[in-house]
Amino acid sequence: MRSIRASIPLAMTVSVMFSSGVGIAYADPVTITLNSWRTEDIAVWQDTILPAFEAKHPDIKVEFAPINTNEYNAAIQSQVEGGAGGDLITCRPFDVNREWIKRGYFESLEGLPGLANFDKTSRAAWSGADDKTYCLPVAAVLAGFYYNADIFKELGLKVPTTSAEFIDVLKAIKKDGRYTPLAYGAAESWQLAYNGLYSIGPAYWKGEEGRLGLIDGKKKLTDPEFVDAIAAFAAWKPFLPAGQESLNYADMTQLFTLGKAAILPDGSWDINQATSTGLNVGVFGPPVPKAGDQRYLQEMPDMGIGINAKSTHKEAAKTFLDWVAGPEFQELYVNAAPGFFAMGNKPVAYKNKLAQDFADLKKGAQLTPRLALDRLSAGTPPLDDETWRLLQVMYTKLDVTPQQVATELQTGLASWYGPQKK
Amino acid sequence: MISPAAAYRNLLLFVLPALAVYLVFAVLPLATSIVMSFFQTNGASGDTFVGLANYERLFTHPTISARFWNALLNNMQYFAIHLIVEVPMGLLLAALLTSGKLARSEGIYRTLLFIPATLSVVIVGFVWRLIINPLWGLVGFPLLGTESTALTTISLMSVWQYFGIPMVFLYSALLAVPNELVEAANIDGAGGWTTFWKIKFPLIAPQFGLIAILTYIWTFNGFDLVFALNGSAPGPNYSTDILGTYFYRTFFGSSGQLADLDLGAAVATVIFTTVLVVTAVYFWLVQRRLKSYSV
Repeated sequence: MRSIRASIPLAMTVSVMFSSGVGIAYADPVTITLNSWRTEDIAVWQDTILPAFEAKHPDIKVEFAPINTNEYNAAIQSQVEGGAGGDLITCRPFDVNREWIKRGYFESLEGLPGLANFDKTSRAAWSGADDKTYCLPVAAVLAGFYYNADIFKELGLKVPTTSAEFIDVLKAIKKDGRYTPLAYGAAESWQLAYNGLYSIGPAYWKGEEGRLGLIDGKKKLTDPEFVDAIAAFAAWKPFLPAGQESLNYADMTQLFTLGKAAILPDGSWDINQATSTGLNVGVFGPPVPKAGDQRYLQEMPDMGIGINAKSTHKEAAKTFLDWVAGPEFQELYVNAAPGFFAMGNKPVAYKNKLAQDFADLKKGAQLTPRLALDRLSAGTPPLDDETWRLLQVMYTKLDVTPQQVATELQTGLASWYGPQKK
Repeated sequence: MISPAAAYRNLLLFVLPALAVYLVFAVLPLATSIVMSFFQTNGASGDTFVGLANYERLFTHPTISARFWNALLNNMQYFAIHLIVEVPMGLLLAALLTSGKLARSEGIYRTLLFIPATLSVVIVGFVWRLIINPLWGLVGFPLLGTESTALTTISLMSVWQYFGIPMVFLYSALLAVPNELVEAANIDGAGGWTTFWKIKFPLIAPQFGLIAILTYIWTFNGFDLVFALNGSAPGPNYSTDILGTYFYRTFFGSSGQLADLDLGAAVATVIFTTVLVVTAVYFWLVQRRLKSYSV
């Protein structure tokens, strides 16, 4: 079986070698390929980023080879295990990548000069059990609340900073009756977790304290801070549009961009869509439970790039990654793909106003990644999937309490995760 | 005169190209997938033979098996709705089309009724999602967002799309019913209803059985409409999860989930076996006994 599966990528590689045979014969530039799940970024890479790199390094040619998002993991796994795959591979954060590192997919990046531009937290999503970094951090996404500034002005509302103010704003919009307070719905369960609970929750479970507490087993999901966070999320329910149970992500974004809703809880990646109709849009961060509390912001490491351990052009790949680690790439990328944020420790200027506003939310806030993707989703049932499912159950049924959600999450996690079994 | 041996050689020569394509693109992947379900693939240590461990996980792991049985039950419901609604609907429309009552507009109706079957599922899913969208659509109730209604809603969308298939199958079968038989029945005093059930239906029973088993195969290999509407973790609470989406989720993984190729292969093998066994039993027990009346 191994030989059958291996022969397909091998045949592909051979044909690629023949088609670029001229390059071999004349020792022209080395061509390295970069696999990614961001098919929507083809133009960004081909027109902006890669020409900038190739201008500096004429001896290396980079080919951007994206794979359909839904099939990305399976494609990478079977290609790399069959001895093929791109020279550079875009890495998923945390658990998936940790397993890929364990299986030996990547070359360690220790010793790469550019790595010094990233602190330990930024590298954490792509470190292995040996604490070495295997992928270079490329971009993170943030979560927050887009709001229609004109509606806020018309109704005389102020941007809320505490949970109580947030609910008051929602009540005021609902009372006025002309606009839907929250453009939000339960049909796509992933965004209940990513744009909802994981966005406002860290203020309750104190960001990394709560997240790492779950990982080392000192805290349980049934602890009051987690139940309170789920309850704060459940409190949005009365302010959602009628029939929200079957509203999907496109519906909510549309409701907001048509100017029919005041607030859209969403991720930074949606900047272009949220402003597509030319609305006067602002952004605010998740509210805190009490005035004066520490602010938290969800900063999710979204992608890194690693070197395929089976690549035959490792030196060229390293040269490329070292360039990716520098400010030139970061500035190019985050401005070509607004809503993605550089993870290096040097400040980057964002040309998109909303992207800059989002980046400004980081000031004074403690950053924390999504709650369940680090270690807690490496078994069955994965905590992340269970969170999606149970939040959806809570939003689509009347009689499910935050306490029940927390209890079921905890039971699922404790059924396989060692530190929670005690 | 060609000798029998030469005839066989020639026959083989004609069959060979098709056979080669079939072996490489159908039999080989299927066999590889079945073989894969007995292995544990792991980049670092290579593949290890694990026997039935993947199946054991599929049938006994508390979470994995719960999702599997849920998907299987949902799939049965998905099939049942098609069998109860789509096939009789196809029969009814085929009977109407061949009843002679529509006279010259028969062709127009036939075309109109068959159109949905030619549409892409993505379009069907999109259009229906708009129609039943509580925000912009005609129905205020969240049909797709409620556990008790979601699967039935999706099944009926699929029925709407595909009733044209059993319709044309049975339509062509009904056309083949000789006119003399119908005329003879009419002369004997049989009305439209009696003629249909006593004369026409027994003659098309084999085709009717065939379309029922094809519906079974199609629904148990179903995937696209559910995926287009609800993605690969079809909610709410996996209430619209069928075997196809369950397989997809397992095999391909997701942004936060590893692709479990081996377990996925086991799921695929189980789906294949389910379809194969039921189809075989059907052909052996039922289809064989359906008489084809020669006239």
